Amino acid sequence: MSHNGGGMDAIAAQQATNNTSAIGAHVPNAKASRAVSQPVDSHSVSRRLQSELMSLMTRGDPGISAFPDGDNILTWVGTINGSKGTVYEGMSYKLMLKFPTDYPFKPPQVKFETACFHPNVDQYGNICLDILQDKWSSAYDVRTILLSIQSLLGEPNNESPMNSYAAALWSNQEEFRKANCKRYRETGGVITVPK
Amino acid sequence: MNSEAGGGSEEDRPRDDEILAFHHAIRAADAEKLEFVGDKEPLSVLAMEYEAGNPVFRAKVENLSQTYSAIRRARGDGNCFFRSFMFSYLEHILETKDEAEVRRVEKNIEQSKKALIDLGYQEFTFEDFLSIFVEQLESVLPGRETSVDIDLLVEKCRDRYISDYVVMFFRFVTSAEIRRRAEFFEPFILGLSNMSVQQFCKASVEPMGEESDHVHITALSDALGVPIRVVYLDRSVGADGKNTDVNHHDFVPTEGSNVDIPPVVLLYRPGHYDILYTRTDEDLSHVGRHDKVTGRQLVKEDGNAAAQNVEELNYVQAEAT
Repeated sequence: MSHNGGGMDAIAAQQATNNTSAIGAHVPNAKASRAVSQPVDSHSVSRRLQSELMSLMTRGDPGISAFPDGDNILTWVGTINGSKGTVYEGMSYKLMLKFPTDYPFKPPQVKFETACFHPNVDQYGNICLDILQDKWSSAYDVRTILLSIQSLLGEPNNESPMNSYAAALWSNQEEFRKANCKRYRETGGVITVPK
Repeated sequence: MNSEAGGGSEEDRPRDDEILAFHHAIRAADAEKLEFVGDKEPLSVLAMEYEAGNPVFRAKVENLSQTYSAIRRARGDGNCFFRSFMFSYLEHILETKDEAEVRRVEKNIEQSKKALIDLGYQEFTFEDFLSIFVEQLESVLPGRETSVDIDLLVEKCRDRYISDYVVMFFRFVTSAEIRRRAEFFEPFILGLSNMSVQQFCKASVEPMGEESDHVHITALSDALGVPIRVVYLDRSVGADGKNTDVNHHDFVPTEGSNVDIPPVVLLYRPGHYDILYTRTDEDLSHVGRHDKVTGRQLVKEDGNAAAQNVEELNYVQAEAT
């Protein structure tokens, strides 16, 4: 737990820094006494997220969905269904997406809420996926994030695992599926397509 | 299932987000040392920089000063090519007041927008970035309510919001051009990396902070139809082992006007781009041009312009001595 707490502190600290710099950048320059730009309008983040929600809903991609969690547009709850033909078939995973105030320049923090037994997901639900870290760009959106995580489920990167047990087990898909089902049921999941 | 948590070594190893946070901290510290774009400095600052350095560099800097008079540094945060291009191009339009050029580049921007949509990009992912760049283009033309002078242009290009938005727009444009002409760019990309064209764009073009090389420059120059000169300052010497002429390469768009000297001239030192000012342009028309600029500013903004006038005069004198 302490590990997790530390991570959250780091995130909070980072967000705090982001906020400070965002504000700092828009204090009118005293020397010039002219405001260079309109302050980053906080509406631009929410407008962008509204567009993403529209796109997500109108496209209706199978097996992924997401919606803002309550009134806060900066926090979303997502759902990913395991793809057919993978060891995740029939399982449904909840995720939490937290958007920073400088989104889409910075990626959202994305975590599994449902325990996920996967080589690139740790026991706290943290995901190791390059597009959520150093390869993030504003060209991604909630839809492409969820699709990327969905495809990560079936195609893990076993080179640098966060869960080395899952990575070692991956080569034996039958055993992996068993361990996966066990873990999924233990945490209260109901497998919809038992096969 | 206990082993699921991983061995002790995995717990001790910094997590990716911690490494990333550290990386951000280093860049943030670097950022405090220099604005996104610095002040215009006489080229003699380069000579000072290499005073005790490599003799090839010293000789090349000397040669460089025959053709170029000043430098404006860009922050080394992986976006220096795009930030340098942004400032240099906007400054060029500010000086030439070339409205036809703005209209021309706006047509190219429309083409890029179409290309992005054809490639499957959602319009909401790039529309804000596009409109911020178009705003900047309009603002460097004279006679509008939003018109800027050189001081305000500098300020805008140092503003995180504006600068990052424009850089991100250029990244979209560059990516779209590379993917639109994937067959043309593929051999160059294979020469740089083992990635496919799409992977390259996702990993090395679209994320902020990814450095640029000739593939990015070619693509941006072609997409916007703006010629770019890159002057290379490195340790290489000519075939005879002595030649310290400074090489340059002009990136000339596939379509577009032929010009003697591209409007955008950048200095490349391994891993970094800065803005260069050509001497002919500076010296021959220096006094006249500054008089004109000063006149316009005096009418518009009184006190500020006078202060700038003095600064500029000092600068011209410093350069002359």
